[in-house]
Amino acid sequence: MVKRLSDMPEVEAAHLRRLDCPTYDDTALLSGKPLAERRVAIISTAGLHKRGDRPFRPGDGSYRVIPAETKASELVMSHISVNFDRTGFQQDLNVVFPIDRLRELVAESAVGSMAAIHYSFMGAFPPAAAEPHARHLTGLLKADKVDAALLVPV
Amino acid sequence: MREHTEIVRPPRALWVTFELGRPLGIPDDPPFQRRVAKAALDLLARTDGPVLADYPEDVPEVTDFSGWACPISLAPSEVDSLAAEIDRLGTWYDQSMAKQGRTTVGVSGLDIPAAGALVSRALNNDLPEAQALKEAIDDLRAYYLEAASAFPDPGTATTRKKWFWDETQLAKALLALQPRLAASSDPQHKILGNLTLIPATERHRLRQ
Repeated sequence: MVKRLSDMPEVEAAHLRRLDCPTYDDTALLSGKPLAERRVAIISTAGLHKRGDRPFRPGDGSYRVIPAETKASELVMSHISVNFDRTGFQQDLNVVFPIDRLRELVAESAVGSMAAIHYSFMGAFPPAAAEPHARHLTGLLKADKVDAALLVPV
Repeated sequence: MREHTEIVRPPRALWVTFELGRPLGIPDDPPFQRRVAKAALDLLARTDGPVLADYPEDVPEVTDFSGWACPISLAPSEVDSLAAEIDRLGTWYDQSMAKQGRTTVGVSGLDIPAAGALVSRALNNDLPEAQALKEAIDDLRAYYLEAASAFPDPGTATTRKKWFWDETQLAKALLALQPRLAASSDPQHKILGNLTLIPATERHRLRQ
Protein backbone atom coordinates (compact mmCIF):
# COMPACT_ATOMS: atom_id res chain seq x y z
CA MET A 1 0.00 0.00 0.00
CA VAL A 2 1.89 3.01 -1.28
CA LYS A 3 1.08 6.57 -2.35
CA ARG A 4 2.52 8.77 -5.15
CA LEU A 5 4.76 11.82 -4.65
CA SER A 6 2.96 13.87 -7.30
CA ASP A 7 -0.25 13.68 -5.26
CA MET A 8 1.35 15.30 -2.23
CA PRO A 9 2.07 18.90 -1.27
CA GLU A 10 5.41 19.81 -2.86
CA VAL A 11 7.06 20.53 0.50
CA GLU A 12 6.34 16.98 1.67
CA ALA A 13 7.19 15.42 -1.69
CA ALA A 14 10.55 17.22 -1.85
CA HIS A 15 11.59 15.72 1.48
CA LEU A 16 10.54 12.21 0.48
CA ARG A 17 12.19 12.49 -2.94
CA ARG A 18 15.56 12.94 -1.24
CA LEU A 19 15.33 9.61 0.61
CA ASP A 20 17.78 6.97 -0.47
CA CYS A 21 16.14 3.70 -1.49
CA PRO A 22 18.02 0.40 -1.48
CA THR A 23 18.05 -1.46 -4.78
CA TYR A 24 18.17 -5.22 -5.31
CA ASP A 25 19.32 -7.26 -8.28
CA ASP A 26 16.26 -9.47 -8.18
CA THR A 27 12.93 -9.82 -6.44
CA ALA A 28 12.35 -12.78 -4.15
CA LEU A 29 8.95 -14.03 -5.22
CA LEU A 30 7.73 -17.52 -4.49
CA SER A 31 4.44 -19.25 -5.01
CA GLY A 32 2.80 -20.67 -1.92
CA LYS A 33 -0.34 -22.06 -0.37
CA PRO A 34 -3.74 -20.52 -1.08
CA LEU A 35 -4.62 -17.57 1.16
CA ALA A 36 -7.26 -19.68 2.91
CA GLU A 37 -4.47 -21.93 4.20
CA ARG A 38 -1.96 -19.24 5.15
CA ARG A 39 -1.09 -17.89 8.58
CA VAL A 40 -0.77 -14.10 8.31
CA ALA A 41 1.12 -11.57 10.44
CA ILE A 42 0.76 -7.81 10.22
CA ILE A 43 3.96 -5.80 10.09
CA SER A 44 3.34 -2.07 10.39
CA THR A 45 5.79 0.81 10.07
CA ALA A 46 3.51 3.22 11.98
CA GLY A 47 5.74 3.32 15.06
CA LEU A 48 3.10 1.53 17.14
CA HIS A 49 3.72 -0.06 20.50
CA LYS A 50 2.04 -0.87 23.75
CA ARG A 51 1.82 2.01 26.21
CA GLY A 52 4.88 1.61 28.45
CA ASP A 53 7.05 -0.07 25.80
CA ARG A 54 10.14 1.82 24.68
CA PRO A 55 9.16 4.67 22.33
CA PHE A 56 10.92 4.85 18.97
CA ARG A 57 13.86 7.24 18.54
CA PRO A 58 15.48 8.84 15.48
CA GLY A 59 17.39 6.20 13.49
CA ASP A 60 15.72 3.37 15.40
CA GLY A 61 15.48 0.29 13.15
CA SER A 62 14.15 -2.06 15.82
CA TYR A 63 10.61 -3.39 16.14
CA ARG A 64 8.03 -3.70 18.89
CA VAL A 65 5.87 -6.76 19.43
CA ILE A 66 2.09 -6.52 19.41
CA PRO A 67 0.44 -9.74 20.62
CA ALA A 68 -2.76 -10.52 18.70
CA GLU A 69 -4.92 -10.07 21.79
CA THR A 70 -3.63 -6.51 22.42
CA LYS A 71 -6.53 -4.11 22.85
CA ALA A 72 -6.64 -0.97 20.68
CA SER A 73 -6.72 1.07 23.90
CA GLU A 74 -3.24 -0.23 24.80
CA LEU A 75 -1.51 1.02 21.65
CA VAL A 76 0.20 4.36 21.12
CA MET A 77 2.29 5.77 18.25
CA SER A 78 5.78 7.24 18.65
CA HIS A 79 6.74 7.60 14.99
CA ILE A 80 9.30 10.42 14.78
CA SER A 81 7.80 11.94 11.61
CA VAL A 82 5.16 14.66 11.82
CA ASN A 83 4.46 14.54 8.09
CA PHE A 84 1.50 12.18 8.04
CA ASP A 85 -2.01 12.18 9.44
CA ARG A 86 -2.51 10.71 12.91
CA THR A 87 -6.16 11.62 13.37
CA GLY A 88 -7.20 8.49 11.46
CA PHE A 89 -5.29 6.34 13.95
CA GLN A 90 -6.76 8.34 16.84
CA GLN A 91 -10.22 7.51 15.52
CA ASP A 92 -9.65 3.89 14.51
CA LEU A 93 -6.58 1.71 14.99
CA ASN A 94 -7.52 -0.38 11.96
CA VAL A 95 -6.78 2.44 9.53
CA VAL A 96 -3.06 1.79 10.19
CA PHE A 97 -3.11 -1.66 11.80
CA PRO A 98 -5.96 -3.76 10.37
CA ILE A 99 -6.03 -6.38 13.11
CA ASP A 100 -9.84 -6.53 13.32
CA ARG A 101 -10.10 -6.85 9.54
CA LEU A 102 -7.63 -9.73 9.57
CA ARG A 103 -9.60 -11.36 12.37
CA GLU A 104 -12.77 -11.08 10.26
CA LEU A 105 -11.05 -12.55 7.19
CA VAL A 106 -9.96 -15.51 9.31
CA ALA A 107 -13.52 -15.92 10.68
CA GLU A 108 -14.82 -15.94 7.09
CA SER A 109 -12.18 -18.57 6.18
CA ALA A 110 -10.74 -16.23 3.52
CA VAL A 111 -7.45 -16.36 5.47
CA GLY A 112 -6.21 -19.53 7.16
CA SER A 113 -5.19 -18.13 10.53
CA MET A 114 -3.72 -15.13 12.27
CA ALA A 115 -0.26 -14.98 13.80
CA ALA A 116 -0.02 -14.97 17.59
CA ILE A 117 2.22 -11.90 17.48
CA HIS A 118 2.32 -8.93 15.11
CA TYR A 119 5.01 -6.29 14.80
CA SER A 120 5.63 -2.60 14.24
CA PHE A 121 8.69 -0.75 13.04
CA MET A 122 8.93 3.04 12.85
CA GLY A 123 9.13 3.87 9.15
CA ALA A 124 11.69 6.70 9.29
CA PHE A 125 14.79 4.51 9.69
CA PRO A 126 17.83 4.06 7.48
CA PRO A 127 17.37 0.61 5.84
CA ALA A 128 20.73 -0.61 7.19
CA ALA A 129 19.59 0.10 10.76
CA ALA A 130 16.60 -2.21 10.36
CA GLU A 131 18.26 -5.08 8.52
CA PRO A 132 19.58 -7.05 11.54
CA HIS A 133 16.23 -6.64 13.29
CA ALA A 134 14.35 -7.70 10.16
CA ARG A 135 16.52 -10.81 9.82
CA HIS A 136 15.84 -11.71 13.44
CA LEU A 137 12.15 -11.09 12.89
CA THR A 138 11.98 -13.58 10.01
CA GLY A 139 13.10 -16.29 12.46
CA LEU A 140 10.37 -15.31 14.91
CA LEU A 141 7.77 -15.40 12.15
CA LYS A 142 8.90 -18.88 11.11
CA ALA A 143 8.69 -20.03 14.72
CA ASP A 144 5.07 -18.79 14.78
CA LYS A 145 4.49 -20.79 11.54
CA VAL A 146 3.66 -17.56 9.68
CA ASP A 147 3.78 -17.95 5.91
CA ALA A 148 2.47 -14.53 4.79
CA ALA A 149 3.10 -11.00 6.04
CA LEU A 150 0.82 -8.04 5.42
CA LEU A 151 3.22 -5.08 5.40
CA VAL A 152 1.36 -1.87 6.16
CA PRO A 153 3.58 1.17 5.55
CA VAL A 154 2.91 4.58 7.03
CA MET B 1 5.38 6.01 -2.08
CA ARG B 2 4.86 4.59 -5.55
CA GLU B 3 8.15 6.06 -6.78
CA HIS B 4 10.13 4.43 -3.95
CA THR B 5 8.33 1.12 -4.43
CA GLU B 6 9.28 1.15 -8.12
CA ILE B 7 12.95 1.41 -7.08
CA VAL B 8 12.91 -1.14 -4.23
CA ARG B 9 10.71 -3.59 -6.22
CA PRO B 10 9.18 -5.64 -3.40
CA PRO B 11 7.58 -8.90 -4.61
CA ARG B 12 4.01 -7.62 -4.35
CA ALA B 13 2.70 -4.15 -3.55
CA LEU B 14 -0.73 -2.55 -3.68
CA TRP B 15 -0.85 1.13 -4.61
CA VAL B 16 -3.48 3.20 -2.84
CA THR B 17 -4.23 6.90 -3.21
CA PHE B 18 -5.24 7.52 0.40
CA GLU B 19 -3.90 10.26 2.65
CA LEU B 20 -0.49 9.48 4.12
CA GLY B 21 -1.05 7.93 7.56
CA ARG B 22 -4.24 6.16 6.48
CA PRO B 23 -3.08 3.11 4.49
CA LEU B 24 -6.41 1.30 4.94
CA GLY B 25 -8.30 4.36 3.72
CA ILE B 26 -11.24 5.31 5.92
CA PRO B 27 -11.44 5.12 9.75
CA ASP B 28 -14.49 3.33 11.12
CA ASP B 29 -15.37 1.85 7.72
CA PRO B 30 -14.75 -1.90 8.14
CA PRO B 31 -16.11 -2.94 4.70
CA PHE B 32 -13.80 -0.45 2.95
CA GLN B 33 -10.80 -1.50 5.05
CA ARG B 34 -11.57 -5.17 4.46
CA ARG B 35 -11.61 -4.66 0.69
CA VAL B 36 -8.18 -2.98 0.85
CA ALA B 37 -6.67 -5.66 3.10
CA LYS B 38 -8.12 -8.44 0.94
CA ALA B 39 -6.83 -6.82 -2.27
CA ALA B 40 -3.32 -6.72 -0.76
CA LEU B 41 -3.51 -10.31 0.49
CA ASP B 42 -4.88 -11.56 -2.84
CA LEU B 43 -1.60 -10.46 -4.45
CA LEU B 44 -0.01 -13.47 -2.73
CA ALA B 45 -1.41 -15.61 -5.53
CA ARG B 46 0.58 -13.65 -8.13
CA THR B 47 3.93 -15.12 -9.19
CA ASP B 48 4.65 -12.68 -12.04
CA GLY B 49 6.26 -10.02 -9.88
CA PRO B 50 7.48 -7.62 -8.93
CA VAL B 51 3.79 -6.72 -8.83
CA LEU B 52 2.71 -3.11 -8.27
CA ALA B 53 -1.07 -3.25 -8.49
CA ASP B 54 -3.37 -0.22 -8.51
CA TYR B 55 -6.15 -0.30 -5.95
CA PRO B 56 -9.29 0.84 -7.81
CA GLU B 57 -11.07 2.83 -5.07
CA ASP B 58 -10.30 6.38 -3.92
CA VAL B 59 -11.38 8.00 -0.68
CA PRO B 60 -13.83 10.79 -1.50
CA GLU B 61 -12.75 14.22 -0.23
CA VAL B 62 -14.58 15.11 2.97
CA THR B 63 -16.18 18.49 2.43
CA ASP B 64 -14.79 21.11 4.76
CA PHE B 65 -17.31 23.27 6.50
CA SER B 66 -16.72 26.59 4.82
CA GLY B 67 -16.00 29.17 7.46
CA TRP B 68 -15.91 26.53 10.20
CA ALA B 69 -15.03 28.23 13.42
CA CYS B 70 -14.00 26.35 16.51
CA PRO B 71 -17.06 26.39 18.77
CA ILE B 72 -14.84 26.53 21.84
CA SER B 73 -13.05 29.81 22.34
CA LEU B 74 -9.39 28.94 22.47
CA ALA B 75 -7.96 31.90 20.66
CA PRO B 76 -4.72 32.81 22.41
CA SER B 77 -4.79 36.09 24.27
CA GLU B 78 -2.08 38.02 26.06
CA VAL B 79 -3.26 36.86 29.46
CA ASP B 80 -3.73 33.24 28.44
CA SER B 81 -1.18 30.53 29.08
CA LEU B 82 -0.37 27.12 27.70
CA ALA B 83 -1.30 25.56 31.05
CA ALA B 84 -4.71 27.30 31.03
CA GLU B 85 -5.38 26.14 27.48
CA ILE B 86 -4.46 22.55 28.35
CA ASP B 87 -6.73 22.71 31.38
CA ARG B 88 -9.64 24.11 29.35
CA LEU B 89 -9.42 21.24 26.87
CA GLY B 90 -9.59 18.62 29.62
CA THR B 91 -13.34 18.21 29.63
CA TRP B 92 -13.39 17.76 25.83
CA TYR B 93 -10.59 15.22 26.01
CA ASP B 94 -12.65 13.32 28.60
CA GLN B 95 -15.64 13.43 26.23
CA SER B 96 -13.49 12.00 23.45
CA MET B 97 -12.21 9.22 25.73
CA ALA B 98 -15.77 8.31 26.69
CA LYS B 99 -16.90 8.28 23.06
CA GLN B 100 -13.92 6.41 21.60
CA GLY B 101 -13.28 4.15 24.57
CA ARG B 102 -9.57 4.78 24.15
CA THR B 103 -6.90 7.43 23.84
CA THR B 104 -3.64 7.49 21.91
CA VAL B 105 -2.04 9.73 24.56
CA GLY B 106 0.59 7.94 26.62
CA VAL B 107 3.92 7.82 24.82
CA SER B 108 5.84 10.00 27.29
CA GLY B 109 4.65 8.50 30.56
CA LEU B 110 3.87 12.04 31.74
CA ASP B 111 0.42 13.31 32.60
CA ILE B 112 -0.74 16.09 30.32
CA PRO B 113 -0.09 19.03 32.69
CA ALA B 114 3.46 17.72 33.18
CA ALA B 115 3.91 17.39 29.42
CA GLY B 116 2.76 21.00 29.08
CA ALA B 117 5.16 22.05 31.84
CA LEU B 118 8.04 20.47 29.92
CA VAL B 119 7.18 22.58 26.86
CA SER B 120 6.92 25.69 29.06
CA ARG B 121 10.33 24.88 30.52
CA ALA B 122 11.78 24.66 27.01
CA LEU B 123 10.18 28.01 26.16
CA ASN B 124 12.01 29.49 29.15
CA ASN B 125 15.33 28.55 27.53
CA ASP B 126 15.84 25.41 29.61
CA LEU B 127 15.74 22.79 26.85
CA PRO B 128 14.96 19.29 28.15
CA GLU B 129 16.49 16.19 26.57
CA ALA B 130 15.20 16.03 22.96
CA GLN B 131 13.54 12.61 23.17
CA ALA B 132 11.63 13.53 26.35
CA LEU B 133 10.47 16.77 24.76
CA LYS B 134 9.42 15.02 21.54
CA GLU B 135 7.41 12.41 23.44
CA ALA B 136 5.69 15.09 25.55
CA ILE B 137 4.81 17.06 22.39
CA ASP B 138 3.44 13.92 20.68
CA ASP B 139 1.19 13.35 23.68
CA LEU B 140 0.05 16.97 23.74
CA ARG B 141 -0.74 16.96 20.02
CA ALA B 142 -2.81 13.79 20.42
CA TYR B 143 -4.55 15.29 23.47
CA TYR B 144 -5.50 18.46 21.58
CA LEU B 145 -6.76 16.70 18.46
CA GLU B 146 -8.66 14.04 20.40
CA ALA B 147 -10.26 16.80 22.52
CA ALA B 148 -11.22 18.75 19.38
CA SER B 149 -12.88 15.66 17.89
CA ALA B 150 -15.42 15.86 20.75
CA PHE B 151 -16.35 19.52 20.22
CA PRO B 152 -20.10 20.06 19.62
CA ASP B 153 -19.35 20.81 15.96
CA PRO B 154 -16.07 19.00 15.39
CA GLY B 155 -15.68 19.93 11.71
CA THR B 156 -13.35 17.57 9.82
CA ALA B 157 -9.90 16.22 10.61
CA THR B 158 -8.54 18.86 8.20
CA THR B 159 -10.30 21.76 9.92
CA ARG B 160 -9.22 20.51 13.35
CA LYS B 161 -5.58 20.37 12.27
CA LYS B 162 -5.95 23.90 10.85
CA TRP B 163 -7.46 24.99 14.16
CA PHE B 164 -4.50 23.50 16.01
CA TRP B 165 -1.96 25.47 13.95
CA ASP B 166 -4.00 28.66 13.58
CA GLU B 167 -5.37 29.11 17.07
CA THR B 168 -3.66 27.23 19.86
CA GLN B 169 -1.04 28.35 22.33
CA LEU B 170 0.64 24.97 21.91
CA ALA B 171 1.23 25.50 18.18
CA LYS B 172 2.51 28.99 18.95
CA ALA B 173 4.90 27.44 21.47
CA LEU B 174 6.15 24.83 18.97
CA LEU B 175 6.77 27.51 16.35
CA ALA B 176 8.70 29.55 18.95
CA LEU B 177 10.74 26.53 19.99
CA GLN B 178 11.81 25.53 16.49
CA PRO B 179 14.62 28.09 15.98
CA ARG B 180 15.95 27.50 19.50
CA LEU B 181 16.12 23.75 18.95
CA ALA B 182 17.66 24.18 15.51
CA ALA B 183 20.33 26.46 16.98
CA SER B 184 21.19 24.13 19.87
CA SER B 185 24.62 22.51 19.97
CA ASP B 186 22.94 19.17 20.83
CA PRO B 187 22.49 17.15 17.58
CA GLN B 188 19.27 15.56 18.91
CA HIS B 189 17.80 19.01 19.50
CA LYS B 190 18.75 19.91 15.92
CA ILE B 191 16.96 16.82 14.54
CA LEU B 192 13.86 17.73 16.53
CA GLY B 193 13.95 21.37 15.47
CA ASN B 194 14.74 20.78 11.82
CA LEU B 195 12.81 17.59 11.05
CA THR B 196 10.37 16.25 13.61
CA LEU B 197 8.67 19.22 15.25
CA ILE B 198 6.84 21.21 12.56
CA PRO B 199 5.12 19.36 9.68
CA ALA B 200 6.43 20.32 6.23
CA THR B 201 3.01 21.72 5.37
CA GLU B 202 3.17 24.15 8.32
CA ARG B 203 6.78 25.31 8.02
CA HIS B 204 5.70 28.43 6.12
CA ARG B 205 4.45 29.70 9.48
CA LEU B 206 8.04 29.89 10.71
CA ARG B 207 8.70 32.70 8.26
CA GLN B 208 5.72 34.75 9.37
